[in-house]
Amino acid sequence: MTTAGLHCEQLSRRVGDRLLLDGLSLSVAPGESLALLGPSGCGKTTTLRLLAGLDPVSGGRIRLDGEDVTHSPAGERQVAMVFQSYALYPHLSVLANLELGLEVRRVPAPERRRRIAEVLALLQLEGLERRRPAQLSGGQRQRVALARALLRQPRLMLLDEPMSNLDAQLRDQLRPELRALLHRAGHPVIHVTHDQQEAMGLADRIAVLEGGVLQQVGTPQELYHRPANLFVARFLGRPGINLLAGEAGVQLAIRPEQLRLVESGGLPARLLRREWQGSQQLLWLDTSRGELLLLAAADLTPGEQLQVTWKPDDELRFSSASGERLA
Amino acid sequence: MEVSVLMPAPFADATAPLVAAFNREHRELQIAVTRGPLDTEALSDLAISSLLLGDTPYDLLLMDVTWTPKYAAAGWLEPLEPLLGDNALAGMAPGAQLGNTFGGHLWRLPLLADMGLLYWRTDLMDAPPKSLQELAATAADLQRRGVVPWGYVWQGRQYEGLSCVFLEVLRDFGGHWLRLGDDRQSDLDSPEAIAAAGWLGGLVRSGVTPDAVANISESESLQIFGAGQAAFMRNWPYAWAELQKPGSVVAGRVGVVSLGNGTQGSWGFSLLKGSAHPQQAAAVMRWFTSEATSRDLAVRFGYTPVWQSLLDDPQLQEQLPLLPVLRQALECTALRPLTPLYAQLSDVLQRQLSGLISGSGSAEAAMAEAQRQSTLLLRAAAPGA
Amino acid sequence: MAILLLLPALALVAGVFLWPLLRYGWLSLQASSVLTGLVPVPNGGANWQRLLADGRFWQDAAQTLRFAGLSLALELLLGLALALLLHRPLPRRGLVRAVVLLPWALPTTVMALGWRWILNDPFGPLNGLLQSLGLPAYGFLSQPATTWLFTVLADVWKTTPFVALLLLAGLQAIPSELEEALRLEGAGPWQRLRRLTLPLLAPYLLLAALFRLAQALGVFDLIQVLTGSGPASSTESLALYAYLNAMRFLDFGYAATLMLGMFAVVLGLSALVLLAQALRRRLAEMAP
Repeated sequence: MTTAGLHCEQLSRRVGDRLLLDGLSLSVAPGESLALLGPSGCGKTTTLRLLAGLDPVSGGRIRLDGEDVTHSPAGERQVAMVFQSYALYPHLSVLANLELGLEVRRVPAPERRRRIAEVLALLQLEGLERRRPAQLSGGQRQRVALARALLRQPRLMLLDEPMSNLDAQLRDQLRPELRALLHRAGHPVIHVTHDQQEAMGLADRIAVLEGGVLQQVGTPQELYHRPANLFVARFLGRPGINLLAGEAGVQLAIRPEQLRLVESGGLPARLLRREWQGSQQLLWLDTSRGELLLLAAADLTPGEQLQVTWKPDDELRFSSASGERLA
Repeated sequence: MEVSVLMPAPFADATAPLVAAFNREHRELQIAVTRGPLDTEALSDLAISSLLLGDTPYDLLLMDVTWTPKYAAAGWLEPLEPLLGDNALAGMAPGAQLGNTFGGHLWRLPLLADMGLLYWRTDLMDAPPKSLQELAATAADLQRRGVVPWGYVWQGRQYEGLSCVFLEVLRDFGGHWLRLGDDRQSDLDSPEAIAAAGWLGGLVRSGVTPDAVANISESESLQIFGAGQAAFMRNWPYAWAELQKPGSVVAGRVGVVSLGNGTQGSWGFSLLKGSAHPQQAAAVMRWFTSEATSRDLAVRFGYTPVWQSLLDDPQLQEQLPLLPVLRQALECTALRPLTPLYAQLSDVLQRQLSGLISGSGSAEAAMAEAQRQSTLLLRAAAPGA
Repeated sequence: MAILLLLPALALVAGVFLWPLLRYGWLSLQASSVLTGLVPVPNGGANWQRLLADGRFWQDAAQTLRFAGLSLALELLLGLALALLLHRPLPRRGLVRAVVLLPWALPTTVMALGWRWILNDPFGPLNGLLQSLGLPAYGFLSQPATTWLFTVLADVWKTTPFVALLLLAGLQAIPSELEEALRLEGAGPWQRLRRLTLPLLAPYLLLAALFRLAQALGVFDLIQVLTGSGPASSTESLALYAYLNAMRFLDFGYAATLMLGMFAVVLGLSALVLLAQALRRRLAEMAP
């Protein structure tokens, strides 16, 4: 049971004297969905390409369902990948796009037809079989790419920014569909994104990467409420976390929604500007402990001089030197 | 006033100092030489292109002997006898006088003469062969004894050089390209012509001449002979100086003799139609071809003079050891057919000869085909055809 | 209104293509040679009759097609191989590409002289190599049966870089992710080439083929310098024959006829290639 799924240990990738990925250790269970989150250049796409076998590993090991695939050729790993661009073969129809891999793997024709019919039905692509990729909408292309990946019967499913080519509205609509689909399939899923909303919406767990180093891995709630370090705390959450000066060597942080306005006894604050966001409004405050963001009810009409307070329990405390969270 | 002359690059370079001196002395008449391409055919292309456009910028053109009738028939040349008189060629060696008149007019004044010569190795034999048969026998013998890899090298590539080589052999066998007395008839299927072609083909088949001859021109034959790889070579006078150069394997071991009927290849000046000042152009032509200029070019560049007086000059003979041979050769040269269709005739002949020396066909078949095609060409040219 | 906007382009096409064609067409119906003093004299279809009966025209046409066909096939094959090689990440790729392009940058006459020396019998380096291996020297340029192969060799050497460069541009236009996707599907290099790269490269291959075919059918200076059409005219091309008639024989009427004959051959062949391509596409669309 412990060998099922993906396990990588101390995975590294070095190009010249640049370390793109530094000792990444991760496990993803079958049926589990993990998001690799981080800013661009953090090593998340590198990780994906190492797992797929598209780039050579410089150090560490990758095991898939107990098998060491660290140095296996990409085609033998039984890993499927949905590329950011979807990478559909432009000269082939939807049908041929789906069939090519099966032909390459010498799946007999009747079985090919059966499996393609299944996946077409699953992804509601019926009727589009003869279209070329150029004749499909963005959402349709994504579904074809997903169908092609599913036909691989992968031991590991990789998705590289699967939503980034879609407009915002479509993303919101497709996210739950995609999540349901990926969960059903029963293989480990890793998807790369720089969009925390997408990561939280799709993933069971999130791994935050920065500078080729894994910062923290955990459920979205864990990451949000108990970030391992200042980077994770600042990277997750919109609007971003407030930073306050603490005692010597300590950096305090508090989420904007945990600040409250009080009549008296709070920290005096001057309203700099505000931004109405529909259900809420965001206030920029200038205080003696620095500039603070506060999320308040939409109907509030604040004066210019305010007082702000928060529960000490909600404070996050980090080491100023290392950025690690203090217990 | 300026007279403009188009010449191949080597001639332009050779005459440059003389032209500069002329221009210094003659304030009122200047010569402007255009340095044309090095290659003969490329010069022809340039000249023809300019002539086709009409109003050519040149007054004088330095031409190969075979071009004259073609250019005259195309209406590009001005007859010279009204300007130079009827005796302009008097005093020139007999072999050099040929090829300048056509259709009753003088079209060209020769600057220098050229003719096919036989080069032989003085270290391999006491005297040059007296006949083609002796040449072939000596060559084969030297080859058999392993003295030289090859017996006789000549120009067998499919180009004008092959026609020149054949014409010499043809004359030696007593044949003619065009029928003697009726130059509207080809005479290439005569027994003599077939024997001549058969002799050339036999050289290749017997191995006296390498197979490679089918793509050998002057420079390649010079390369083989110069490397000491052949007992004999057919080439033009220029090869002599090349073989004497430092580093030449055969320097001092080469003799030259007249072929008896060396193909004539001379260069001469023609006056282009439309020249704005023909009188001055004629004067420039006269100066270029004068004995004084010829002497200078002979001394400095070894150009074969056309004037008998220079060929006979003992002082010049002392300076140019080759001069007596050239003088003898110019007593009788073989002239290629004087017809506007010469290029076609030569092309037909080259094709058949090239096939003969590179293939397995018979000389009879090759000459019969050459005769058939030449006859067709000449018939089309006959008046009333 | 739209026609008005097209007029300059149409005028250009007419001036550059139509006018010379018409002029040649007119000239092909004239006797215009040294025999007429270069004055065009209408001679009905005599030039065309002569062309149809001219064994040399048909022999040269066959030789030209033979040359162009083999050159094209080898150039596409080697060009593709070279392009695939250059497409891979190589150390000093820029330098390698520049070096590979050198033969293409060389003037044809210079290149042909170089090959004439390389193929020289017996002094050329190639024969030197043969002899050092204990083999007899070979007359590369003096055997009517095989000389044309060496003209093809020289042509392939010179123009493969051009084809390779064109195909390299095509390869670089193919997103690398497509190949990676197919790799993940388990396809090996040969399958990726056949199923992905070649189909996507098809327009570039066709373009290269048309370019090269037009050039190879007009081959001139390479043969002029390398073999002078010999031996026994076994390497003479249509362009050389037309040139011979125009510039050596001054027979402009027949030269024009030859040019048009050659044009017809090229046009017919290009049409055939395009037709084959259209047919292939149609068949591909009809396939399930």
